[in-house]
Amino acid sequence: MEEEELVPGSDLFQDEIAFDQEELIDLNPMDIFDDDGDLHDLVIHRFESDQVVYQPHRHKVKLIGKYLMGEILGEGSYGKVKEVLDTETLCRRAVKILKRRKLRKIPNGEQNVQREIQLLKRLHHRNVIQLKDVMYNEEKQKMYIIMEYCASELQEMLESVPSKKFPIWQAHGYFCQLIDGLEYLHSHGIVHKDIKPGNLLVTNDETLKITDLGVAEALDIFANSDECRTSQGSPAFQPPEIANGLNTFSGFKVDVWSSGVTLYNITTGKYPFEGDNIYKLFENIGKGVYTIPDDVSELLADLLKGMLAYESDVRYTLQQIRQHPWFIKQHPRVLERVLIPPRQDDPEDILRSMTVIGCLSAMHYGNDEAGQEEDIAMVSDYQNAISGQDAVCANHDHEELKGNSGQNIVVDNEHSQASATAPQANGKSKSKKNSKSKFSSCKQS
Amino acid sequence: MPLFGTKTKSPQELVKSLKENLALLPNLKEKEYKKVSEEVSKTLQSIKTLLYGTADQEPATEQVAMLSTEMYQSNTLPLLIQNLARVDFEGRKDVVAIFNNLLRRQIGTRTPTEEYICLNHSVLIELVKGYENQEIALNCGMMLRECCRFESLAKILLNAPEFYKFFEYVEVSTFDIASDAFSTFKELLTKHKMLSAEFLEHNYDEVFMHYQSLLNSDNYVTRRQALKLLGELLLDRHNFSTMNRYISNPENLKLMMNMLREKSRNIQFEAFHVFKIFVANPNKPRPILDILLRNKEKLVDFLTRFHTERSEDEQFNDEKSYLIKQIKELRAPEEGES
Repeated sequence: MEEEELVPGSDLFQDEIAFDQEELIDLNPMDIFDDDGDLHDLVIHRFESDQVVYQPHRHKVKLIGKYLMGEILGEGSYGKVKEVLDTETLCRRAVKILKRRKLRKIPNGEQNVQREIQLLKRLHHRNVIQLKDVMYNEEKQKMYIIMEYCASELQEMLESVPSKKFPIWQAHGYFCQLIDGLEYLHSHGIVHKDIKPGNLLVTNDETLKITDLGVAEALDIFANSDECRTSQGSPAFQPPEIANGLNTFSGFKVDVWSSGVTLYNITTGKYPFEGDNIYKLFENIGKGVYTIPDDVSELLADLLKGMLAYESDVRYTLQQIRQHPWFIKQHPRVLERVLIPPRQDDPEDILRSMTVIGCLSAMHYGNDEAGQEEDIAMVSDYQNAISGQDAVCANHDHEELKGNSGQNIVVDNEHSQASATAPQANGKSKSKKNSKSKFSSCKQS
Repeated sequence: MPLFGTKTKSPQELVKSLKENLALLPNLKEKEYKKVSEEVSKTLQSIKTLLYGTADQEPATEQVAMLSTEMYQSNTLPLLIQNLARVDFEGRKDVVAIFNNLLRRQIGTRTPTEEYICLNHSVLIELVKGYENQEIALNCGMMLRECCRFESLAKILLNAPEFYKFFEYVEVSTFDIASDAFSTFKELLTKHKMLSAEFLEHNYDEVFMHYQSLLNSDNYVTRRQALKLLGELLLDRHNFSTMNRYISNPENLKLMMNMLREKSRNIQFEAFHVFKIFVANPNKPRPILDILLRNKEKLVDFLTRFHTERSEDEQFNDEKSYLIKQIKELRAPEEGES
């Protein structure tokens, strides 16, 4: 595990000094340490790790720009996604936290992120995730991408039920929205290339949002066709032309195919093509032989066949999908809706309520407990930072004690790192004025 | 059974009463007119309740089915729209509610009201003409936009000669009517991408001749909205061939260059987004290239100083520098090569 919000040691305290109030306020009650010169040794020597992890849940108040940080919503290959509250508009948002260090390890990582931001800035549609803000922290080498808040994603909802599928009427509602969003993307010359249930988010009011344009391609506006050459999408959702390694292929028809696989998946709970490994999978897709389960209605089977047509030329266009009877049909609501599952770390919270509430009250009323206890709690925060867990998350994770055993080692590791960063941190406090530009907010037009 | 009041009328009776009274309205004098008009409003209210149900009662499917069938068979819908101006204020709102409810009604894959209107175009034409009457313009607008949701109805509207009336409606002096007309107009041109792309392609000359008048309008709002929509239409991939045609015409380029120098900064900005397509085009026709070459120095100079305060807008600045670079690199083709 790696440290998330807090760079080891000194940074915690420097934050208060270095960051301009408007830009980052870390209200962690650490003031008493301010006068202390050599903190790292002090803290690490004084407390054993097991002493500190069992403290009651404390809400740590952390502001990034005008956004108050909440709990983790999910974790991707690039970094964490957390819930935040826009303290100016009081809108619920999600922030994707990207670390340059991690990005570098992923092929085309940085490039993909930059491209995604560029693309998202231009897009405004009900069914495409909306980018709200982008902030950089050069010092921590982090990037914060603020987006609309969504309660769940189709994949997560599917996995929450044994049948791994939605009732037809519910699937139909999502599919129609997917086609709306996709049509919008295509009209802007964007091929998504990675349509799948895992990239389709759902808000509390059942609005579907297409997300993750990391591998999307924007066609040149003067390009005659939608010809594409590369694809980095998820294998199970790739069409035969890609599985067979064709040099060029129609981009829009790739999205139609993956939407077809998605529709197949959310209505049957299965995949049209499978394989033990990517070679077998691509071999199967390349042959293009699949079966549609018997319990699938004739209309739906017909639409699926149109979308999963082997030859991309005869594969349905979005317009053909729109005109298909299954698309037009009003499906009776016979089965119960699959609900958004409760949060994993709090099975009681079936409505996925806002996770920044605690931080909000801590910010305005402070934490109740006083005196000795507070000291320990503070250190607990600090330890969490060192042990590489995100402070907010670790405080809350009662069940995740497995990190405990390895804590001593972790602390040792981080100790050296903490000392190493100390001189740099001292330097920072002197250049207080320069730090203003640390968060450069770039508003969308 | 209600304790007081008369027995509720059957759907058939409601439609019959509505139809008869509507037919009377045009020829009545004041006092009688008032009486019949009140009767019409009452009937409309009952019909609306039947379709939408009440707080504690869901609408009954059978009754709704009977009512719709009766509406189609008796041809009451066209009559209702024709006489909309004669119905009182609350009654008009009920008409909109009834019309939109019927239109949304779906049986399996069929939408009977859509099918009915497809066979009775006059309903749509009457609705368009409704924009000419201040009293009912906004009601008609709401019904028209509901119709636009259906590709078949949008197609009828686009291909009707009355479509070109929108170019007048969007410029009328009453602001709310003009904006309402513009949103319907925009809906028609953007909602069904393939349909509007084909429409623009096949009716290019006529549409853009009319469109030109919007871009040259004296009305600032019209000019700005029209320019913004033009940019959206041209940059939509579905309208690829229309875009290519538009950016090959030197007159269009001249217009955009003039709009870049308009007094309003907003218009300048919107014009920029159309102008950029002309410059970015890798296959500029000779006349376009000639204009750009003739103004090369001036354009570079102009763009360098263009909206410099937008330093936050990365995309705009990237595009601007790209255009400046493109224009700087422009060369006249070798003689004989063209």
